[in-house]
Amino acid sequence: MTWSSMLFYIIFAGQIFLMSYYIPRQLLRRMDCIHKKYPRSEYPKLYPKSKEYYTIAHWLFKNVYRGILVLGVIIFILLMTVVDHSTFADDGFISEFWPMLYGLIQFAPLLILEFSGYSQFKLMRQLNTSKTRKAELRPRRLFDFISPWLFWAAVLILLAEIVFDFYIHGFVVEWNHDTVQRTIVITVTNLFIWAVGAWNLYGLKQDPHQAMEDRNRQMKLQLTTMFYASILLSLFMMTQAADSAFDLDFLDAPLLSLYFQIIAYFSVGYLIRNVRLEDINFDVYKADAPMT
Amino acid sequence: MEITINIDDPNPLFAQLIEQIKQAVLNGDCSPGDALPSIRQLANDLDLNSKTVAKAYRLLERDSVIQTRGYRGTFIHPDAKANCTVDLNAWVTNKLTETIAAFRQAGVTDSEIRIAFGNVMNERGNQGA
Repeated sequence: MTWSSMLFYIIFAGQIFLMSYYIPRQLLRRMDCIHKKYPRSEYPKLYPKSKEYYTIAHWLFKNVYRGILVLGVIIFILLMTVVDHSTFADDGFISEFWPMLYGLIQFAPLLILEFSGYSQFKLMRQLNTSKTRKAELRPRRLFDFISPWLFWAAVLILLAEIVFDFYIHGFVVEWNHDTVQRTIVITVTNLFIWAVGAWNLYGLKQDPHQAMEDRNRQMKLQLTTMFYASILLSLFMMTQAADSAFDLDFLDAPLLSLYFQIIAYFSVGYLIRNVRLEDINFDVYKADAPMT
Repeated sequence: MEITINIDDPNPLFAQLIEQIKQAVLNGDCSPGDALPSIRQLANDLDLNSKTVAKAYRLLERDSVIQTRGYRGTFIHPDAKANCTVDLNAWVTNKLTETIAAFRQAGVTDSEIRIAFGNVMNERGNQGA
C-alpha cells in the first residue's frame, strides 16, 4: 500500500464515520428529544402529519443510515482488497468516483429530510386557522444576518479561484477544457447558493407558527452556512485546479472525501451545534398558542 | 416593531396596513427616515397578495407618510407624523357634504346629483384610461 492510498483510506474512514454514523446519530437524538419533550398531545401544531408518518420516517431514517454505514464499510474493504484501481483511473490512483458515489448516497437521506420538511411546512400553512398575521415593520438585509467580512470573503475567494484556475492553465478558453467547466460549475453553484439565500431572506415564511426571534436566528445560521459552503467550494475547486496543473492527481480522491466531510460538518453539523432546542420557542406549537 | 392584520376584519387589508403604519408613526415606533420592508417581503411575511401591500404603500406615499427612494427602498417621510393626522377621506366627505348641501339649496334633486356625479366620474375615468 502506497502512502497516498493510506492517506485516502484514513480520510475515507472519516467520511464513513462522520456522515454515516456521527451526524445521523446527532439528528436522531435531536428528533427523539423533540418527540419526548414536546409531545403531540401538548404541541399538536408541531406535527401536521399522522403519528404513523413520524414513526415510519424515524425508523426509515435510522435504518437507511445503518445500511449506508454497512455499505461504507463494505466499499472500504473492497477498495483495500479486491478493486483493481487501474480499471477506474488511468494513473492507477484511487479514483475520486468512490468518495463521490458514497458521498452522494450519504447526502441523499438528508436531502429527502430537507424536502419532507418543506412539505410539512406547507401542510402547517394549510392547517393554520389563525385569522391574524404578524410581520416585522423593518427590512431584512443580508448584513443584518451575516458579517460583511464573510460576504466579501466568499466573493473574493470565488474570484480568486477563477483567476487562479485560468492563470495556472495559461488562460486557455476552450469549452471542453477543465478550467472552463470548473468555472461554469462554480459560478452556477454560487448563483444557486445565493438564490436560496435570497429566498430565505425575502421569501414566504415557511413555518406559520415560528416565533420571529427563532426565524431570525435560523436565517442567520442558514445564511452563514451557505456562505461557508461557497468559500469551501471555491477552495476545493482551487485544489482541483492545482491537482490537474501540477500532476497531483493522487490527491483527487482524498480531497473530495475531505471536502464532503467539511461541507457536512459546516452545514448540518453547524446547525446541530448552534441551534439549541432550549433556545427555540416551542410554545407557539401548543393548541391554544396565539399567532406569532 | 410588529404589525398585525386580521383577515376576518371588515376593514380591507390595505386599509388595516395603512392604519397600522400610521399608528406606528404616531406612537413613535417608527421615526422619520426609518426604512420599511419591501413590498415583497411584507407581502410574503403576511401571506398577502403583493398588490395589496403595493396599494397600501401607494396611498401612504400619496399622503406623504412614506417616501420611496428608488432602489434604496421605502422610508418614513420626514413630515410623516404631521401628515398621519391628515385624513383625506374625512376631507373628501366634508367637501362633498358642503357641495351637496349647496346643490340641494339651489333646488337640484338627489337623483340629478347622482346622475351628474356619475357622469363626471365616468368622464374622468375615460380620460384616465
